[in-house]
Amino acid sequence: MIVIAEKINATRSAVREIIEQRDEGRLEDLAQRQVAAGAAYIDVNVGTGNGTRQDEIESMQWAVSRLLDATDKPLCIDSADAAVLEAGLAAMGGRPAMINSTKADVKYLSTVMPLAQRYEAPVVALAMDGQGIPGTVEGRLNACRAIAGACRDYQVPLASVFFDPLVLPVATDAGQGKVTLNTLAAIKAEFPEARTVMGLSNISFGLPGRPMLNAAFLQMAIYAGLDAAIMDPLNADMMQAARTGDALMGKDRHFRKYSRALRRQ
Amino acid sequence: MNEQEIIEKIAFNVIQGRVTEEDEGYDEGLEGQPAVAELVQMVIEQRIDAKKVVVNALTGSMETVGDKFDKGEYLIPDMLASAECVGAAMDLLGPHLADAGVQSKGKFVLATVAGDLHDIGKNIVGIMLKGAGFDVLDLGNDVSSERIVAQVKDTGARYLGLSALLTTTMREMGAIIKTLDEEGMRSQVQVLIGGAPTSQSFADEIGADAYCRDAFHAIDILKQMAG
Ligand code: B12
Repeated sequence: MIVIAEKINATRSAVREIIEQRDEGRLEDLAQRQVAAGAAYIDVNVGTGNGTRQDEIESMQWAVSRLLDATDKPLCIDSADAAVLEAGLAAMGGRPAMINSTKADVKYLSTVMPLAQRYEAPVVALAMDGQGIPGTVEGRLNACRAIAGACRDYQVPLASVFFDPLVLPVATDAGQGKVTLNTLAAIKAEFPEARTVMGLSNISFGLPGRPMLNAAFLQMAIYAGLDAAIMDPLNADMMQAARTGDALMGKDRHFRKYSRALRRQ
Repeated sequence: MNEQEIIEKIAFNVIQGRVTEEDEGYDEGLEGQPAVAELVQMVIEQRIDAKKVVVNALTGSMETVGDKFDKGEYLIPDMLASAECVGAAMDLLGPHLADAGVQSKGKFVLATVAGDLHDIGKNIVGIMLKGAGFDVLDLGNDVSSERIVAQVKDTGARYLGLSALLTTTMREMGAIIKTLDEEGMRSQVQVLIGGAPTSQSFADEIGADAYCRDAFHAIDILKQMAG
Protein backbone atom coordinates (compact mmCIF):
# COMPACT_ATOMS: atom_id res chain seq x y z
CA MET A 1 0.00 0.00 0.00
CA ILE A 2 1.33 3.39 -0.96
CA VAL A 3 0.41 5.56 1.99
CA ILE A 4 -0.26 9.24 1.27
CA ALA A 5 -0.23 10.81 4.71
CA GLU A 6 -3.20 13.11 5.19
CA LYS A 7 -2.53 15.00 8.39
CA ILE A 8 -1.09 18.23 6.98
CA ASN A 9 -4.45 19.60 5.93
CA ALA A 10 -5.54 23.07 6.94
CA THR A 11 -9.16 22.03 7.25
CA ARG A 12 -7.98 20.58 10.58
CA SER A 13 -7.90 23.38 13.11
CA ALA A 14 -4.51 22.41 14.56
CA VAL A 15 -2.96 22.61 11.11
CA ARG A 16 -4.74 25.84 10.29
CA GLU A 17 -2.99 27.31 13.33
CA ILE A 18 0.37 25.96 12.19
CA ILE A 19 -0.10 27.54 8.78
CA GLU A 20 -1.37 30.86 10.06
CA GLN A 21 1.38 31.16 12.66
CA ARG A 22 4.05 29.77 10.29
CA ASP A 23 4.97 27.33 13.05
CA GLU A 24 7.70 25.38 11.31
CA GLY A 25 8.60 23.26 14.33
CA ARG A 26 5.15 21.70 14.56
CA LEU A 27 4.87 21.39 10.78
CA GLU A 28 8.14 19.48 10.53
CA ASP A 29 7.26 17.32 13.50
CA LEU A 30 3.95 16.34 11.92
CA ALA A 31 5.72 15.40 8.67
CA GLN A 32 8.45 13.41 10.40
CA ARG A 33 6.06 11.45 12.58
CA GLN A 34 4.06 10.47 9.50
CA VAL A 35 7.22 9.42 7.65
CA ALA A 36 8.37 7.32 10.61
CA ALA A 37 4.98 5.60 10.62
CA GLY A 38 5.36 4.51 7.01
CA ALA A 39 4.14 7.33 4.76
CA ALA A 40 5.36 7.26 1.15
CA TYR A 41 4.05 10.75 0.35
CA ILE A 42 3.20 13.68 2.62
CA ASP A 43 0.03 15.45 1.52
CA VAL A 44 0.14 19.24 1.91
CA ASN A 45 -3.14 21.16 1.85
CA VAL A 46 -2.88 24.71 3.14
CA GLY A 47 -6.32 26.00 2.13
CA THR A 48 -7.55 27.55 5.36
CA GLY A 49 -10.75 28.75 3.73
CA ASN A 50 -10.38 32.28 5.03
CA GLY A 51 -7.87 34.07 2.85
CA THR A 52 -7.14 35.07 -0.69
CA ARG A 53 -5.63 32.93 -3.45
CA GLN A 54 -2.38 34.83 -2.90
CA ASP A 55 -2.47 33.84 0.80
CA GLU A 56 -2.84 30.19 -0.15
CA ILE A 57 0.01 30.43 -2.66
CA GLU A 58 2.33 31.95 -0.06
CA SER A 59 1.31 29.41 2.55
CA MET A 60 2.01 26.60 0.09
CA GLN A 61 5.45 28.01 -0.76
CA TRP A 62 6.30 28.32 2.91
CA ALA A 63 5.06 24.83 3.81
CA VAL A 64 6.84 23.16 0.89
CA SER A 65 10.13 24.88 1.60
CA ARG A 66 9.98 23.84 5.29
CA LEU A 67 9.01 20.26 4.46
CA LEU A 68 11.83 19.84 1.93
CA ASP A 69 14.24 20.28 4.84
CA ALA A 70 12.25 18.04 7.15
CA THR A 71 12.00 14.92 4.98
CA ASP A 72 13.34 13.14 1.89
CA LYS A 73 9.87 11.82 1.04
CA PRO A 74 8.02 13.31 -1.92
CA LEU A 75 5.19 15.69 -1.15
CA CYS A 76 1.65 15.51 -2.47
CA ILE A 77 0.64 19.05 -3.38
CA ASP A 78 -3.04 19.30 -2.60
CA SER A 79 -5.30 22.11 -3.75
CA ALA A 80 -8.43 22.72 -5.79
CA ASP A 81 -6.69 25.69 -7.36
CA ALA A 82 -4.19 25.08 -10.19
CA ALA A 83 -2.28 28.25 -9.36
CA VAL A 84 -1.62 26.92 -5.85
CA LEU A 85 -0.61 23.54 -7.30
CA GLU A 86 1.81 25.27 -9.61
CA ALA A 87 3.32 27.34 -6.81
CA GLY A 88 3.81 24.20 -4.73
CA LEU A 89 5.39 22.24 -7.58
CA ALA A 90 7.73 25.11 -8.43
CA ALA A 91 8.79 25.32 -4.78
CA MET A 92 9.84 21.64 -4.88
CA GLY A 93 13.06 22.71 -6.64
CA GLY A 94 13.09 19.64 -8.90
CA ARG A 95 12.33 17.09 -6.18
CA PRO A 96 9.53 14.64 -7.03
CA ALA A 97 5.97 15.53 -6.05
CA MET A 98 2.45 14.30 -6.63
CA ILE A 99 -0.48 16.45 -7.70
CA ASN A 100 -3.77 16.23 -5.81
CA SER A 101 -6.00 16.54 -7.84
CA THR A 102 -7.91 16.90 -11.07
CA LYS A 103 -11.32 15.68 -12.22
CA ALA A 104 -13.06 15.14 -15.55
CA ASP A 105 -13.86 18.80 -16.08
CA VAL A 106 -12.17 20.83 -18.81
CA LYS A 107 -11.46 23.66 -16.41
CA TYR A 108 -9.36 21.34 -14.27
CA LEU A 109 -7.92 19.12 -16.98
CA SER A 110 -6.70 22.07 -19.03
CA THR A 111 -4.84 23.59 -16.10
CA VAL A 112 -3.71 20.57 -14.08
CA MET A 113 -2.67 18.16 -16.85
CA PRO A 114 -0.06 20.56 -18.27
CA LEU A 115 1.46 20.72 -14.77
CA ALA A 116 1.57 16.93 -14.56
CA GLN A 117 3.27 16.86 -17.93
CA ARG A 118 5.77 19.63 -17.20
CA TYR A 119 6.76 18.38 -13.73
CA GLU A 120 6.49 14.68 -14.70
CA ALA A 121 4.37 14.36 -11.58
CA PRO A 122 1.94 11.58 -10.75
CA VAL A 123 -1.56 12.98 -10.48
CA VAL A 124 -4.63 12.03 -8.47
CA ALA A 125 -7.66 12.00 -10.79
CA LEU A 126 -11.13 11.96 -9.26
CA ALA A 127 -13.81 9.86 -10.98
CA MET A 128 -16.21 12.81 -11.20
CA ASP A 129 -17.06 15.55 -13.63
CA GLY A 130 -18.28 19.15 -13.55
CA GLN A 131 -21.72 17.94 -12.50
CA GLY A 132 -20.55 16.15 -9.39
CA ILE A 133 -20.03 12.55 -8.33
CA PRO A 134 -21.87 10.05 -10.55
CA GLY A 135 -23.95 7.58 -8.54
CA THR A 136 -23.12 4.60 -10.71
CA VAL A 137 -20.04 2.62 -11.70
CA GLU A 138 -20.59 3.43 -15.37
CA GLY A 139 -20.86 7.16 -14.61
CA ARG A 140 -17.61 7.17 -12.66
CA LEU A 141 -15.88 5.07 -15.30
CA ASN A 142 -16.96 7.59 -17.96
CA ALA A 143 -15.27 10.31 -15.93
CA CYS A 144 -12.09 8.20 -15.89
CA ARG A 145 -12.33 7.73 -19.66
CA ALA A 146 -12.49 11.49 -20.13
CA ILE A 147 -9.44 11.87 -17.91
CA ALA A 148 -7.58 9.16 -19.86
CA GLY A 149 -8.42 11.09 -23.05
CA ALA A 150 -6.92 14.23 -21.56
CA CYS A 151 -3.81 12.24 -20.64
CA ARG A 152 -3.33 11.46 -24.32
CA ASP A 153 -3.89 15.09 -25.30
CA TYR A 154 -1.44 16.42 -22.74
CA GLN A 155 1.07 13.55 -23.05
CA VAL A 156 0.75 12.38 -19.49
CA PRO A 157 1.36 8.62 -19.31
CA LEU A 158 -1.47 6.64 -17.72
CA ALA A 159 1.15 5.09 -15.45
CA SER A 160 1.36 8.49 -13.72
CA VAL A 161 -2.35 8.57 -12.96
CA PHE A 162 -3.88 7.57 -9.65
CA PHE A 163 -7.62 7.22 -10.28
CA ASP A 164 -9.79 7.88 -7.23
CA PRO A 165 -13.11 5.99 -7.49
CA LEU A 166 -14.49 8.23 -4.69
CA VAL A 167 -16.16 7.19 -1.51
CA LEU A 168 -19.58 8.32 -0.32
CA PRO A 169 -21.01 7.62 3.14
CA VAL A 170 -22.88 4.33 3.36
CA ALA A 171 -25.05 5.84 6.10
CA THR A 172 -27.12 7.63 3.45
CA ASP A 173 -26.96 4.92 0.77
CA ALA A 174 -25.89 1.41 1.72
CA GLY A 175 -25.17 0.61 -1.94
CA GLN A 176 -22.32 3.12 -2.15
CA GLY A 177 -19.68 0.79 -0.74
CA LYS A 178 -20.14 -1.55 -3.66
CA VAL A 179 -20.24 1.25 -6.19
CA THR A 180 -16.78 2.33 -5.05
CA LEU A 181 -15.41 -1.23 -4.98
CA ASN A 182 -16.83 -2.11 -8.39
CA THR A 183 -15.50 1.15 -9.82
CA LEU A 184 -12.04 0.22 -8.52
CA ALA A 185 -12.20 -3.16 -10.23
CA ALA A 186 -13.52 -1.61 -13.45
CA ILE A 187 -10.72 0.96 -13.50
CA LYS A 188 -8.14 -1.79 -13.03
CA ALA A 189 -9.66 -3.79 -15.87
CA GLU A 190 -9.89 -0.91 -18.32
CA PHE A 191 -6.67 0.95 -17.44
CA PRO A 192 -4.23 -1.66 -16.17
CA GLU A 193 -1.24 0.71 -16.32
CA ALA A 194 -2.93 3.26 -14.09
CA ARG A 195 -2.99 3.03 -10.32
CA THR A 196 -5.78 3.70 -7.86
CA VAL A 197 -6.07 5.75 -4.69
CA MET A 198 -8.76 6.78 -2.27
CA GLY A 199 -9.50 8.52 0.96
CA LEU A 200 -11.26 6.07 3.20
CA SER A 201 -12.82 7.64 6.21
CA ASN A 202 -15.79 9.10 4.33
CA ILE A 203 -17.30 5.63 4.07
CA SER A 204 -18.21 5.47 7.77
CA PHE A 205 -19.39 9.07 8.21
CA GLY A 206 -22.43 9.24 10.47
CA LEU A 207 -22.11 5.71 11.87
CA PRO A 208 -20.76 4.34 15.14
CA GLY A 209 -17.83 1.90 15.16
CA ARG A 210 -16.05 3.80 12.44
CA PRO A 211 -12.57 2.23 12.88
CA MET A 212 -13.88 -1.25 12.08
CA LEU A 213 -15.90 -0.01 9.09
CA ASN A 214 -12.88 1.85 7.76
CA ALA A 215 -10.53 -1.14 8.18
CA ALA A 216 -12.95 -3.60 6.59
CA PHE A 217 -13.56 -1.26 3.68
CA LEU A 218 -9.84 -0.72 3.17
CA GLN A 219 -9.25 -4.46 2.94
CA MET A 220 -12.13 -4.97 0.52
CA ALA A 221 -10.71 -2.15 -1.59
CA ILE A 222 -7.27 -3.79 -1.61
CA TYR A 223 -8.92 -6.92 -2.98
CA ALA A 224 -10.71 -4.82 -5.62
CA GLY A 225 -7.41 -3.28 -6.74
CA LEU A 226 -6.51 -0.36 -4.48
CA ASP A 227 -2.83 0.64 -4.78
CA ALA A 228 -2.66 3.75 -2.58
CA ALA A 229 -4.62 5.34 0.23
CA ILE A 230 -4.87 8.86 1.54
CA MET A 231 -4.93 8.06 5.23
CA ASP A 232 -3.55 8.78 8.67
CA PRO A 233 -0.37 6.72 9.12
CA LEU A 234 -0.37 7.54 12.83
CA ASN A 235 -3.45 5.35 13.14
CA ALA A 236 -1.67 2.07 13.90
CA ASP A 237 -4.76 -0.10 13.49
CA MET A 238 -5.46 1.23 10.00
CA MET A 239 -1.81 0.77 9.02
CA GLN A 240 -1.87 -2.84 10.15
CA ALA A 241 -5.21 -3.33 8.37
CA ALA A 242 -3.48 -2.17 5.18
CA ARG A 243 -0.50 -4.47 5.73
CA THR A 244 -2.81 -7.37 6.48
CA GLY A 245 -4.78 -6.78 3.30
CA ASP A 246 -1.63 -6.51 1.20
CA ALA A 247 -0.20 -9.66 2.78
CA LEU A 248 -3.36 -11.66 2.13
CA MET A 249 -3.31 -10.51 -1.49
CA GLY A 250 0.24 -11.83 -1.87
CA LYS A 251 1.71 -8.34 -2.21
CA ASP A 252 4.09 -8.63 0.76
CA ARG A 253 6.68 -11.25 -0.12
CA HIS A 254 7.53 -13.48 2.82
CA PHE A 255 5.21 -11.34 5.00
CA ARG A 256 8.17 -9.06 5.66
CA LYS A 257 6.25 -5.83 6.31
CA TYR A 258 3.43 -7.59 8.08
CA SER A 259 5.55 -9.46 10.58
CA ARG A 260 8.06 -6.67 11.08
CA ALA A 261 5.24 -4.36 12.16
CA LEU A 262 3.98 -6.93 14.68
CA ARG A 263 7.50 -7.42 16.01
CA ARG A 264 7.83 -3.70 16.75
CA GLN A 265 4.81 -3.69 19.04
CA MET B 1 35.61 -7.16 -0.98
CA ASN B 2 37.98 -9.97 -0.09
CA GLU B 3 37.12 -13.65 0.14
CA GLN B 4 36.41 -13.57 3.87
CA GLU B 5 34.09 -10.56 3.57
CA ILE B 6 32.16 -12.04 0.67
CA ILE B 7 31.61 -15.31 2.52
CA GLU B 8 30.47 -13.48 5.66
CA LYS B 9 28.12 -11.31 3.60
CA ILE B 10 26.61 -14.38 1.92
CA ALA B 11 26.00 -15.99 5.31
CA PHE B 12 24.44 -12.75 6.59
CA ASN B 13 22.12 -12.52 3.58
CA VAL B 14 21.05 -16.17 3.79
CA ILE B 15 19.99 -15.46 7.36
CA GLN B 16 18.25 -12.26 6.23
CA GLY B 17 16.58 -14.23 3.43
CA ARG B 18 17.61 -11.92 0.58
CA VAL B 19 18.19 -13.48 -2.86
CA THR B 20 18.65 -10.33 -4.95
CA GLU B 21 19.58 -6.73 -4.37
CA GLU B 22 16.04 -5.36 -4.34
CA ASP B 23 14.77 -7.92 -1.81
CA GLU B 24 13.69 -6.88 1.63
CA GLY B 25 15.32 -8.72 4.50
CA TYR B 26 14.15 -9.88 7.89
CA ASP B 27 15.51 -6.57 9.19
CA GLU B 28 14.46 -3.25 7.77
CA GLY B 29 16.34 -1.15 5.25
CA LEU B 30 18.59 -3.65 3.47
CA GLU B 31 17.05 -3.05 0.05
CA GLY B 32 19.61 -2.06 -2.57
CA GLN B 33 22.56 -3.82 -0.95
CA PRO B 34 24.11 -6.79 -2.77
CA ALA B 35 22.41 -10.03 -1.74
CA VAL B 36 23.11 -13.74 -2.24
CA ALA B 37 22.85 -13.78 -6.05
CA GLU B 38 25.15 -10.78 -6.54
CA LEU B 39 27.63 -12.00 -3.92
CA VAL B 40 27.80 -15.51 -5.38
CA GLN B 41 28.44 -13.88 -8.75
CA MET B 42 31.49 -12.24 -7.15
CA VAL B 43 32.58 -15.64 -5.85
CA ILE B 44 32.51 -16.97 -9.39
CA GLU B 45 34.26 -13.95 -10.88
CA GLN B 46 37.01 -13.99 -8.25
CA ARG B 47 37.38 -17.77 -8.60
CA ILE B 48 36.86 -18.34 -4.90
CA ASP B 49 36.56 -22.05 -4.03
CA ALA B 50 32.86 -22.87 -4.34
CA LYS B 51 33.13 -25.63 -1.71
CA LYS B 52 34.20 -23.05 0.87
CA VAL B 53 31.04 -21.11 0.17
CA VAL B 54 28.87 -24.18 0.66
CA VAL B 55 30.53 -25.06 3.96
CA ASN B 56 31.17 -21.63 5.44
CA ALA B 57 28.30 -19.56 4.09
CA LEU B 58 25.34 -21.82 3.32
CA THR B 59 25.22 -24.81 5.66
CA GLY B 60 26.05 -22.97 8.87
CA SER B 61 23.65 -20.13 8.26
CA MET B 62 20.74 -22.51 7.73
CA GLU B 63 21.52 -23.90 11.18
CA THR B 64 21.27 -20.39 12.56
CA VAL B 65 17.93 -20.02 10.78
CA GLY B 66 16.76 -23.28 12.36
CA ASP B 67 17.79 -22.02 15.81
CA LYS B 68 15.91 -18.79 15.30
CA PHE B 69 12.83 -20.73 14.19
CA ASP B 70 13.17 -22.91 17.29
CA LYS B 71 13.22 -19.87 19.53
CA GLY B 72 10.11 -18.50 17.85
CA GLU B 73 12.04 -15.55 16.47
CA TYR B 74 11.69 -16.65 12.83
CA LEU B 75 8.39 -17.62 11.23
CA ILE B 76 7.80 -20.10 8.42
CA PRO B 77 8.01 -17.42 5.68
CA ASP B 78 11.39 -16.35 7.10
CA MET B 79 12.66 -19.95 6.89
CA LEU B 80 11.36 -20.16 3.35
CA ALA B 81 13.12 -16.94 2.35
CA SER B 82 16.43 -18.35 3.63
CA ALA B 83 15.75 -21.63 1.84
CA GLU B 84 15.30 -19.73 -1.43
CA CYS B 85 18.68 -18.10 -0.89
CA VAL B 86 20.46 -21.43 -0.57
CA GLY B 87 18.62 -22.71 -3.65
CA ALA B 88 19.65 -19.65 -5.68
CA ALA B 89 23.25 -19.94 -4.51
CA MET B 90 23.44 -23.63 -5.38
CA ASP B 91 21.97 -23.00 -8.84
CA LEU B 92 24.79 -20.55 -9.52
CA LEU B 93 27.53 -22.58 -7.85
CA GLY B 94 26.53 -25.99 -9.23
CA PRO B 95 28.56 -25.88 -12.45
CA HIS B 96 31.62 -24.72 -10.52
CA LEU B 97 31.48 -27.61 -8.08
CA ALA B 98 31.87 -30.19 -10.82
CA ASP B 99 35.23 -31.78 -11.63
CA ALA B 100 35.36 -31.49 -15.38
CA GLY B 101 35.80 -34.64 -17.39
CA VAL B 102 35.60 -37.17 -14.56
CA GLN B 103 34.22 -40.54 -15.60
CA SER B 104 30.95 -41.49 -13.92
CA LYS B 105 31.44 -43.21 -10.61
CA GLY B 106 28.03 -44.80 -10.83
CA LYS B 107 24.32 -44.05 -10.82
CA PHE B 108 22.95 -42.41 -7.68
CA VAL B 109 19.19 -42.04 -7.12
CA LEU B 110 18.36 -39.30 -4.62
CA ALA B 111 15.06 -38.27 -3.01
CA THR B 112 13.41 -36.62 -0.05
CA VAL B 113 10.89 -39.12 1.27
CA ALA B 114 7.09 -38.94 1.11
CA GLY B 115 5.42 -36.25 3.22
CA ASP B 116 8.61 -34.21 3.53
CA LEU B 117 9.17 -30.97 1.64
CA HIS B 118 12.65 -30.17 2.94
CA ASP B 119 14.98 -30.32 -0.02
CA ILE B 120 17.80 -27.89 0.65
CA GLY B 121 20.11 -30.47 2.19
CA LYS B 122 19.25 -33.05 -0.45
CA ASN B 123 19.92 -30.53 -3.23
CA ILE B 124 23.31 -29.71 -1.78
CA VAL B 125 24.14 -33.40 -1.57
CA GLY B 126 22.98 -33.87 -5.18
CA ILE B 127 25.13 -31.07 -6.51
CA MET B 128 28.19 -32.14 -4.49
CA LEU B 129 27.87 -35.73 -5.66
CA LYS B 130 27.50 -34.60 -9.25
CA GLY B 131 30.62 -32.56 -8.69
CA ALA B 132 32.37 -35.64 -7.34
CA GLY B 133 31.55 -37.56 -10.52
CA PHE B 134 28.37 -39.46 -9.73
CA ASP B 135 25.54 -39.75 -12.20
CA VAL B 136 22.81 -38.28 -9.97
CA LEU B 137 19.11 -38.76 -10.62
CA ASP B 138 17.31 -36.37 -8.28
CA LEU B 139 13.65 -37.36 -7.89
CA GLY B 140 12.75 -34.25 -5.88
CA ASN B 141 10.91 -34.01 -2.57
CA ASP B 142 7.81 -35.73 -1.18
CA VAL B 143 8.56 -38.77 -3.33
CA SER B 144 6.50 -41.90 -2.71
CA SER B 145 8.23 -45.12 -1.71
CA GLU B 146 6.80 -46.86 -4.79
CA ARG B 147 8.38 -44.33 -7.10
CA ILE B 148 11.73 -44.49 -5.38
CA VAL B 149 11.84 -48.28 -5.56
CA ALA B 150 10.66 -48.29 -9.19
CA GLN B 151 13.38 -45.81 -10.18
CA VAL B 152 16.08 -47.86 -8.49
CA LYS B 153 14.82 -50.88 -10.39
CA ASP B 154 14.56 -49.11 -13.76
CA THR B 155 17.96 -47.43 -13.60
CA GLY B 156 19.79 -50.29 -11.93
CA ALA B 157 21.36 -47.63 -9.67
CA ARG B 158 24.15 -48.76 -7.34
CA TYR B 159 23.39 -46.06 -4.79
CA LEU B 160 20.22 -44.69 -3.24
CA GLY B 161 20.28 -41.54 -1.11
CA LEU B 162 17.31 -40.73 1.11
CA SER B 163 16.70 -37.48 2.95
CA ALA B 164 14.21 -36.69 5.73
CA LEU B 165 14.08 -33.67 8.01
CA LEU B 166 11.05 -34.52 10.06
CA THR B 167 10.81 -37.06 12.84
CA THR B 168 7.45 -38.00 11.35
CA THR B 169 8.81 -38.77 7.87
CA MET B 170 12.14 -40.44 8.71
CA ARG B 171 10.23 -43.68 9.30
CA GLU B 172 9.57 -43.80 5.53
CA MET B 173 13.21 -44.69 5.04
CA GLY B 174 12.79 -47.95 6.91
CA ALA B 175 9.73 -48.79 4.83
CA ILE B 176 11.65 -48.20 1.60
CA ILE B 177 14.50 -50.49 2.68
CA LYS B 178 11.97 -53.15 3.60
CA THR B 179 10.36 -52.92 0.15
CA LEU B 180 13.76 -53.17 -1.54
CA ASP B 181 14.29 -56.31 0.50
CA GLU B 182 10.92 -57.79 -0.44
CA GLU B 183 11.49 -57.05 -4.12
CA GLY B 184 14.82 -58.88 -3.94
CA MET B 185 16.73 -55.70 -4.78
CA ARG B 186 18.47 -55.03 -1.49
CA SER B 187 21.89 -56.39 -2.53
CA GLN B 188 21.88 -54.41 -5.78
CA VAL B 189 21.88 -51.01 -4.06
CA GLN B 190 23.72 -49.28 -1.21
CA VAL B 191 21.39 -47.07 0.81
CA LEU B 192 22.76 -43.84 2.27
CA ILE B 193 20.57 -41.75 4.53
CA GLY B 194 20.80 -38.21 5.91
CA GLY B 195 18.90 -35.28 7.36
CA ALA B 196 18.94 -33.62 10.78
CA PRO B 197 16.82 -36.11 12.77
CA THR B 198 18.65 -39.18 11.45
CA SER B 199 21.72 -40.73 13.08
CA GLN B 200 24.07 -43.68 12.91
CA SER B 201 21.92 -45.63 15.36
CA PHE B 202 18.79 -44.91 13.31
CA ALA B 203 20.61 -46.12 10.19
CA ASP B 204 21.56 -49.31 12.05
CA GLU B 205 18.00 -49.76 13.26
CA ILE B 206 16.44 -49.59 9.79
CA GLY B 207 19.26 -51.45 8.07
CA ALA B 208 20.68 -48.63 5.95
CA ASP B 209 24.24 -49.01 4.70
CA ALA B 210 25.40 -45.61 5.87
CA TYR B 211 24.39 -42.51 7.76
CA CYS B 212 25.89 -39.27 6.41
CA ARG B 213 26.33 -36.12 8.47
CA ASP B 214 26.71 -33.99 5.37
CA ALA B 215 27.64 -34.09 1.71
CA PHE B 216 31.41 -34.37 2.36
CA HIS B 217 30.89 -37.25 4.74
CA ALA B 218 28.82 -38.88 1.97
CA ILE B 219 31.68 -38.51 -0.52
CA ASP B 220 34.12 -40.13 1.95
CA ILE B 221 31.77 -43.02 2.57
CA LEU B 222 31.19 -43.53 -1.16
CA LYS B 223 34.96 -43.70 -1.63
CA GLN B 224 35.15 -46.47 0.97
CA MET B 225 32.21 -48.31 -0.61
CA ALA B 226 33.90 -48.21 -4.01
CA GLY B 227 36.89 -49.73 -2.19
C1 B12 C 1 14.26 -24.53 5.81
C2 B12 C 1 13.29 -25.31 6.67
C3 B12 C 1 11.97 -25.45 6.22
C4 B12 C 1 11.52 -24.97 4.85
C5 B12 C 1 11.98 -26.00 3.80
C6 B12 C 1 12.23 -25.38 2.44
C7 B12 C 1 12.96 -26.32 1.53
N1 B12 C 1 12.82 -26.07 0.25
O1 B12 C 1 13.63 -27.24 1.93
C8 B12 C 1 9.97 -24.92 5.03
C9 B12 C 1 9.58 -23.52 5.48
C10 B12 C 1 9.13 -25.30 3.81
C11 B12 C 1 9.78 -25.85 6.21
C12 B12 C 1 8.54 -26.41 6.52
C13 B12 C 1 8.31 -27.18 7.63
N2 B12 C 1 9.20 -27.41 8.63
CO1 B12 C 1 11.06 -27.02 8.53
N3 B12 C 1 12.84 -26.51 8.70
C14 B12 C 1 13.70 -25.86 7.92
C15 B12 C 1 15.05 -25.70 8.65
C16 B12 C 1 15.10 -24.28 9.25
C17 B12 C 1 16.32 -25.86 7.85
C18 B12 C 1 16.46 -27.17 7.08
C19 B12 C 1 17.63 -27.01 6.15
O2 B12 C 1 17.47 -26.69 5.00
N4 B12 C 1 18.86 -27.13 6.67
C20 B12 C 1 20.09 -26.89 5.94
C21 B12 C 1 20.55 -28.13 5.19
C22 B12 C 1 21.82 -27.79 4.40
O3 B12 C 1 20.82 -29.12 6.15
P1 B12 C 1 20.16 -30.57 6.13
O4 B12 C 1 18.83 -30.52 5.51
O5 B12 C 1 20.26 -31.13 7.47
O6 B12 C 1 21.07 -31.38 5.12
C23 B12 C 1 22.44 -31.70 5.35
C24 B12 C 1 22.65 -32.99 6.12
O7 B12 C 1 21.61 -33.33 6.98
C25 B12 C 1 22.90 -34.01 5.08
N5 B12 C 1 21.79 -34.66 4.42
C26 B12 C 1 20.49 -34.36 4.39
N6 B12 C 1 19.81 -35.21 3.63
C27 B12 C 1 20.69 -36.09 3.15
C28 B12 C 1 20.52 -37.16 2.32
C29 B12 C 1 21.62 -37.93 1.97
C30 B12 C 1 21.45 -39.04 1.05
C31 B12 C 1 22.90 -37.60 2.47
C32 B12 C 1 24.03 -38.37 2.06
C33 B12 C 1 23.06 -36.52 3.31
C34 B12 C 1 21.95 -35.76 3.65
O8 B12 C 1 23.61 -33.28 4.12
C35 B12 C 1 23.03 -31.97 4.00
C36 B12 C 1 24.07 -31.01 3.50
O9 B12 C 1 25.10 -30.79 4.43
C37 B12 C 1 14.95 -26.83 9.74
C38 B12 C 1 15.76 -26.57 11.02
C39 B12 C 1 17.01 -27.43 11.11
N7 B12 C 1 17.79 -27.09 12.07
O10 B12 C 1 17.22 -28.35 10.36
C40 B12 C 1 13.45 -26.86 10.00
C41 B12 C 1 12.78 -28.14 10.55
C42 B12 C 1 13.37 -29.35 9.88
N8 B12 C 1 11.38 -27.95 10.15
C43 B12 C 1 10.55 -28.34 11.06
C44 B12 C 1 9.13 -28.26 10.95
C45 B12 C 1 8.33 -28.62 12.17
C46 B12 C 1 8.53 -27.87 9.73
C47 B12 C 1 7.02 -27.82 9.46
C48 B12 C 1 6.21 -28.99 10.00
C49 B12 C 1 6.52 -26.48 9.99
C50 B12 C 1 5.04 -26.30 9.95
N9 B12 C 1 4.50 -26.17 11.13
O11 B12 C 1 4.42 -26.26 8.92
C51 B12 C 1 6.98 -27.77 7.92
C52 B12 C 1 6.88 -29.19 7.30
C53 B12 C 1 6.76 -29.18 5.81
C54 B12 C 1 6.94 -30.56 5.26
N10 B12 C 1 5.86 -31.29 5.06
O12 B12 C 1 8.05 -30.98 5.01
C55 B12 C 1 11.25 -28.90 12.28
C56 B12 C 1 11.20 -30.43 12.36
C57 B12 C 1 10.93 -30.90 13.76
C58 B12 C 1 10.74 -32.35 13.87
N11 B12 C 1 10.91 -32.82 15.06
O13 B12 C 1 10.47 -33.05 12.95
C59 B12 C 1 12.68 -28.28 12.12
C60 B12 C 1 13.81 -29.13 12.74
C61 B12 C 1 12.64 -26.89 12.80
C62 B12 C 1 12.37 -26.96 14.29
N12 B12 C 1 13.41 -26.91 15.07
O14 B12 C 1 11.25 -27.04 14.71
N13 B12 C 1 10.91 -26.02 6.91
